[in-house]
Amino acid sequence: MKEKVKEFLVELCCVYTFISVLGAIVNIIAGTETNNINVLVMFATCTIATFVLFLHKLFDNFSPLFMMIAQYLIASALIGGMLLLISIFVSPISPRGWFEFYRSFTIPYIFLAGFYYYRVFSETKKQDALIKEIQNLQK
Amino acid sequence: MKLNLYEDKNIKEEKVDIHFTNMRPVIKQLIDTVKSERPTLSGRPADEDLDDGEEIILDAKEIYYLDHVDRKLFAYTRDGVFRIMNTLANCEEMLWNYGFVRVSKSNLINIYKIKQLKPDTNMKVYASFDNGDRICINRSYNKSFKEYLQRMRRMG
Repeated sequence: MKEKVKEFLVELCCVYTFISVLGAIVNIIAGTETNNINVLVMFATCTIATFVLFLHKLFDNFSPLFMMIAQYLIASALIGGMLLLISIFVSPISPRGWFEFYRSFTIPYIFLAGFYYYRVFSETKKQDALIKEIQNLQK
Repeated sequence: MKLNLYEDKNIKEEKVDIHFTNMRPVIKQLIDTVKSERPTLSGRPADEDLDDGEEIILDAKEIYYLDHVDRKLFAYTRDGVFRIMNTLANCEEMLWNYGFVRVSKSNLINIYKIKQLKPDTNMKVYASFDNGDRICINRSYNKSFKEYLQRMRRMG
């Protein structure tokens, strides 16, 4: 368990560093600025995303498609909870704000899922060709 | 591979010389055959009573895959299904050089018998065999499966 927590924290540090550096570059290019709340929300989102992706071992016996949908739903629920807490304790979030947040989270998710889908098919094709090659070597 | 056979009625001890460039699985298989260490699995037809069923020696080459169900091990061949009195871990170790690789907790498949490797629309990858059976390649075994294929190609 301790090892798992350590592994999770290392992954979270890497993800957060990458996202915050990317965010800083985008801010420099666009000439925009961020605030403390945004930084905290970004950290919470990174924590949720890393945690959800970390659950993939639990879905080993299920299909990758099921895993992706389940992970998306878990992440959506956790993000919903986070936005609800922000709107109660920090500042109210408009329906447009909810929509924008979900959109900015869903689009990269679909993009990465599509990439994973492509990888599964191309890797399998390569492995199939490799098997044929090995079978021919044996003849 | 070139094969030379010499018949000599006068030799005292029969011998086999193997000239090879590197120790690859096919060479190891020849050595095992000469040393009479070629792995064979003995099994009984799965549909017969274990006490009465006739024990059959199965050649590893004839086996499509091994399946571990309810603490019993079964070998699937063209001629049928046979109950094997061995463990999956032992078979994995014994058949490593013969193209058998673990693809899930309960399956060991023979890569020489795979007809096609194909993903389903739900992204699960299946190995299909001549007899129409399909075995799922578990995601957590995918890396070792890939490494095994690479190693077999290098050694082949």
